[in-house]
Amino acid sequence: MECLSLLGFGACSPDPELRESLSFPSVDIDRSSIPPLLRRRTSQATQMAFTAANRACNQANRSPAELPGIFASVGGEIQVTDRLCIELGKPEGVVSPTDFHNSVHNTAAAYWSIVHRCTLAVSALAAGHETFAMALLESWCQLADRGGELLLVCYDESWPAYLSAPLGEPAFACALVLGAGARDESMVEIGRPQPGLSETYPAFLQDLIGRMPVAAAIPLLTAAQEGGNKREIPLGANWQVQVKPLTFRGAT
Amino acid sequence: MIVSEPLPPAAITAYQCASAAGDDTQALWSGLQSHRSCLGPLQLFELPFETVVGEITSTLPAIRTALKEYDCRNARVALLALNQGNFRAAVEQAIVRFGAQRVGLVLGTSTSGIYDSEAAYVYFLRHGTMPADFHFMKRHAAQASAEFLKLELGLQGPCYAISTACSSSAKSLAAAQRLLGCGFCDAVLVAGVDTLCRLTLRGFHSLDLISAEPCRPMDIHRNGINIGEGAGLLLLERASQGNAHLPRLLAVGESSDAHHMSAPHPQGEGAAAAMRLALRRGGLEPGQIDYIKLHATASLLNDRAEAQAIAAVFDHPPPCSGVKGLLGHTLGAAGAVETIVCLLAMERGWLPGTCGLEEIDPQCPCPVLAAPRGGVRLKHVLGNAFGFGGNNASVLLQAGGDC
Repeated sequence: MECLSLLGFGACSPDPELRESLSFPSVDIDRSSIPPLLRRRTSQATQMAFTAANRACNQANRSPAELPGIFASVGGEIQVTDRLCIELGKPEGVVSPTDFHNSVHNTAAAYWSIVHRCTLAVSALAAGHETFAMALLESWCQLADRGGELLLVCYDESWPAYLSAPLGEPAFACALVLGAGARDESMVEIGRPQPGLSETYPAFLQDLIGRMPVAAAIPLLTAAQEGGNKREIPLGANWQVQVKPLTFRGAT
Repeated sequence: MIVSEPLPPAAITAYQCASAAGDDTQALWSGLQSHRSCLGPLQLFELPFETVVGEITSTLPAIRTALKEYDCRNARVALLALNQGNFRAAVEQAIVRFGAQRVGLVLGTSTSGIYDSEAAYVYFLRHGTMPADFHFMKRHAAQASAEFLKLELGLQGPCYAISTACSSSAKSLAAAQRLLGCGFCDAVLVAGVDTLCRLTLRGFHSLDLISAEPCRPMDIHRNGINIGEGAGLLLLERASQGNAHLPRLLAVGESSDAHHMSAPHPQGEGAAAAMRLALRRGGLEPGQIDYIKLHATASLLNDRAEAQAIAAVFDHPPPCSGVKGLLGHTLGAAGAVETIVCLLAMERGWLPGTCGLEEIDPQCPCPVLAAPRGGVRLKHVLGNAFGFGGNNASVLLQAGGDC
């Protein structure tokens, strides 16, 4: 396999300042992307993942049921886990069964597969500051292995400040529908992930990615939106990829 | 649609395991042979209910000073397994042969360092801040113990965690096979590590799933699961003539139930899909499987769904058994730990029994072994791991060439 094709993407952040700084479209949490019964039961993380994933599938015109999923997140369901840990720390603390099963790292992936009746493989991945790079690497491997297409979702909600501030803000999610090989409908062709860096992030992004590691996806999405020359872009601190933008797409 | 060649098999060139049966694979083998449950009262902390657990009770090794920020029970249990037998030497030899950049690491975990976070939260509730030595990214976050092992061993290849609850480390085997097959790595360390903590014990109890007694997988009188802890480590390399005598990972079938967050599909459709996919990708027919290592948690719904799935895939299912009555459910580590059980079974021509099983549930239509059985020849073995959210993985293994 020579490349991946980006067939559609979506982005979500509850932070208006972050949204305004992006050159591609992004939205606040779109509650209509989550079935009413799940709205009260799902976290900010899962709702952001759904919002971005829904937009990516819409843009690519793909049915979620037909796409295997890779859900990548540094902190996963950290707000739910935090709530459980606080209860566990109290002498009479109560553990909610719903909170418990919603605290697993694959919560967003699981609800996505349940809501969209997707019986294909879904995975949940974490790699700290390298989460986006490793998620794209895993996407490459899955597509090189079995061909076809998949949905990659990278997301992190806001973390309680006492855990790791300034890490964990601002919340951000993005989703990419990726296909194996070159495609006519491709927005960007993405080369094989390579260790090493020939370009670094601009300073403002460096700071953002330091606080919100999944924002490392921003240069790739910017290339999809703005086009430009074939070039290397960083995927994190240790990996990079060559991108070849194909189609200019104005704001949608 | 691009149709690719199936992924090449991966050779399993070394493995090691720390569990409630003891610190290494030899202890695990003795535990399997003795067929006596290693479950016992929890010593690590107190619980507001009765249960037994599969606890590692030996003294855990200390994390060296330079990596102190990673110090947590999960990292220590991983280090315990790493230090057994020749495993560390095998990884170091892989680094010498291939270069550190070509050796990757995929770790499956569901708990990561949460046992230690629980103590940090007690401090937080008293003082309003986390303790000075709390390090979210290096202890609590899912990839923390992966990063620890990477630094401990000096690996420089791709490194990440897969955290899909109880299928985590089975899916890590799949990711490792892909990293090898796609040429990103020449060797990959797969680790499945999970440790006992209040969150999982009290969480499963809140779902009414914990048994007060040693669990009884597939038994008509089963009354729930027991939690265990462990670390299973496997070194995977590309299969070659030179390692043809070693066991191989042929394929991993991965699927989703798309049914419910905490209950399996009642007919086990997702589980059946994972097994079929493993067989198809491994190029085998159901009749070629000599043994199935069950997920068999001893929860009513899980056991029945898995048994029905096996009946759907296999016209004549081979002998099956599960080891959670021996070791407890090691959650995210189960895929790796129980793959090692399969490797021991293949190498020694001996099938584990199902500790705790006395009277098979008539609604579990598959041939479950209660007692161990020796003197068998196993060429192909399937091992199941199913997790919350209907996340399924089925691991297909082949014995080394001389079997």
